[in-house]
Amino acid sequence: MTSRILVVDDDTALAEMIGIVLRTEGFEPVFCADGAKAVDEWRTQRPDLVLLDLMLPGMDGIEICTRIRAESGVPVIMLTARGDTADVVRGLEVGADDYMVKPFNPKELVARIRTRLRPTPQSTSEVLRIGDLTIDVDAHEVRRSSTPIALTPLEFQLLVALASKPQQVFSREMLLEQVWGYHYKADTRLVNVHVQRLRAKVELDPDNPRIVTTVRGVGYRAGSVV
Amino acid sequence: MTNTVALANAAVRGVRGSGHRAAQLWRQSLRFRTLVIALALTSVAVLVTCVAMALAVQNNLWDSRKDQALKDAQRATNSAQLLLDSADTQGNRTAQIGLMREVSGQVQLVSASRVFGVIPIDPQAPPGLTAGGFSQEVVSDPLKQRVEKDATKQWWQPVALQDADGSTHAGLLVGRQLNVPGAGAYALYIAYDLADTEQTLVLVQSSLWIAGIVLVALIGVIAWFSLRTVVHPITEAAESSARFAGGDFDVRLPVRGQDELAVLGRSFNAMADSIEAQIKELGELSLVQQRFVSDVSHELRTPLTTIRLAAEMLNDRRDEFDPTTARTAELLQTQVHRFDTLLADLLEISRYDAGSVQLETEAISLAHLAEDLVDDMRPLAATHDTELRFVAPGGHTPVDLDPRRVRRILRNLIGNAIEHGEGRPIVITVDSSQNAVAVGVRDRGMGMTAEDAERVFDRFWRADPSRTRTIGGTGLGLSIALGDARLHRGSLAVWSRPGEGTNFVLTLPRGARPLDGTSPVPLEPVEAIAEIGVNTAPIVQPGDQAHVASPTEEEEKS
Repeated sequence: MTSRILVVDDDTALAEMIGIVLRTEGFEPVFCADGAKAVDEWRTQRPDLVLLDLMLPGMDGIEICTRIRAESGVPVIMLTARGDTADVVRGLEVGADDYMVKPFNPKELVARIRTRLRPTPQSTSEVLRIGDLTIDVDAHEVRRSSTPIALTPLEFQLLVALASKPQQVFSREMLLEQVWGYHYKADTRLVNVHVQRLRAKVELDPDNPRIVTTVRGVGYRAGSVV
Repeated sequence: MTNTVALANAAVRGVRGSGHRAAQLWRQSLRFRTLVIALALTSVAVLVTCVAMALAVQNNLWDSRKDQALKDAQRATNSAQLLLDSADTQGNRTAQIGLMREVSGQVQLVSASRVFGVIPIDPQAPPGLTAGGFSQEVVSDPLKQRVEKDATKQWWQPVALQDADGSTHAGLLVGRQLNVPGAGAYALYIAYDLADTEQTLVLVQSSLWIAGIVLVALIGVIAWFSLRTVVHPITEAAESSARFAGGDFDVRLPVRGQDELAVLGRSFNAMADSIEAQIKELGELSLVQQRFVSDVSHELRTPLTTIRLAAEMLNDRRDEFDPTTARTAELLQTQVHRFDTLLADLLEISRYDAGSVQLETEAISLAHLAEDLVDDMRPLAATHDTELRFVAPGGHTPVDLDPRRVRRILRNLIGNAIEHGEGRPIVITVDSSQNAVAVGVRDRGMGMTAEDAERVFDRFWRADPSRTRTIGGTGLGLSIALGDARLHRGSLAVWSRPGEGTNFVLTLPRGARPLDGTSPVPLEPVEAIAEIGVNTAPIVQPGDQAHVASPTEEEEKS
């Protein structure tokens, strides 16, 4: 089944060009050029992935992403001309799974889209434990003593990656490879921000993380099971 | 023995220490200095005045007492002589004794002294009398001679009189000849006790001492307090200036009254206002510049993205075109890529100029980062038949650095080395010291002259303009690398010799201390290391899955 991708960008030439690239790769692009209409368009079209430009008329990309995230965990990749930290981090904080700085390599764009659309490998039908949480991998559920916690697919994958090897310290590069699918040195800010987002959702006290612990100078590790 | 020595040493040290502290206080405190000078001068003035006063009082007291005594003695002698002249004893012994007693009473009355003596000049003559414990020993020879020789005058001398309890005090001895009818010439010596004068003098002196000290102390206290009113505003101004210099631009001085201090306050406040306004203006300018850079970035990049996607698409399909169109598509692709890189570099440089760059630091091992990068660049080096060698004696412990920027620097340095290395092996060295970590990239290629080496960090500067770049470069790589190094408060230095090659060394400080000019990796390459043709084993980080190092291996590596 072809995946539908919603392209939200006010530059029509660019949107069309991206559409051509996506179509060549076997995706089904749909377009929206107005920020104000973007969320409605998303609800109507129900795409499998959203390419979201940050600078839009009507409603800016950050706001759109926040609204979409309030309702769904659909993969969102930000497109931005600004590579500045503040903008990128803000975008990641409101829920984008990845970002691409314009101008980008089309092959890279396609690769990242494919990674996000990749189905999570069903490793085992076991239940993983991390900290005081239980993770049902098949059901895509995370619970703290029977209270479910809502996570986006990316956050879920991150948690599962850490939980499946509890003794392992994961460097940021390793996480980028395993969860984001990068095979080369990419921006480690992706990992930093998403760990923060994850902590905000699963930790009882985000300033004293017990579930996702930091190993200074190396990376992250799953907290011990209580 | 040692105890006393130790004690003496401690005392000396204490004195020296307090002397040192006093010297420091002298240098640092205006109040202390002024006070000390004021006290010193006052003390001298008071001392001189008191001494002069004391001397004047002393002389005055002495003179008036002496005059009084002499007058009294003169009168006494005269009346005694009168008495003797008018008496008629006729050699009657009893009458003579009675007369003497009368004379004694008269002398005592008139002279107001109880200590006197009538001594016969002629030792054969009948003896005189003494009163009040008078002894002839008190009379000195010169006085005796004078009195015996000259009958007309009254002679005197200061003597030391002894009290009943043996204490001595000052006294005055007056002597004059008396003529006792029928017995001959006698000498009348009258002694005056000046003890009371002495006491008065002592009293006056001690009063002056006390008054002097109190005066000096009082002046000291007054000076201290009056200085306080002056120095306090100065201290306030000094502190405010320091706070202002430290970055607190809201600081102002309170202005009271119209005197010089008020003028100082007003001037300071005016200066502070001016500086604050200028800084605000500069800040806004920087913000404007930043925003411009951002906006330009966005505006240029969106159409460029479309162009790039299109060029890439055409390039991918160039097999479907005829040769000319295919070649056109290729050229389009490479130049669009070059344009993109140039734009990115230009925007980066303009950010440095605007001062709007920020470090995003993580704790990362420089050796680890460098090794990964070297591995990534091996394929590129291979296309130029160049070997990359990595040596890391140090730099393993994590240091706060911005990995993206450091990687960019290294990529640039290694790229340059490959470009100019003439195929000879390139050695990348990572080392660390207590204060810094450093990485050096050494190639043995064509090198450059010292003048060229100085200009190598200039923007768009190339040592040999006629050379075409094979590895894509914009001419801004080293400028950006230098900017990144400086952002870390580090340094990027170059050594080069024509025909021998070039060595770039990036040094980053570890922790808060700034660099001191030295680097863990020497700028002038050490031949021994360059000659080493050995790749070290891959760096092991704790947490790497595969390898758990045995204790001996860990020791060797660190």
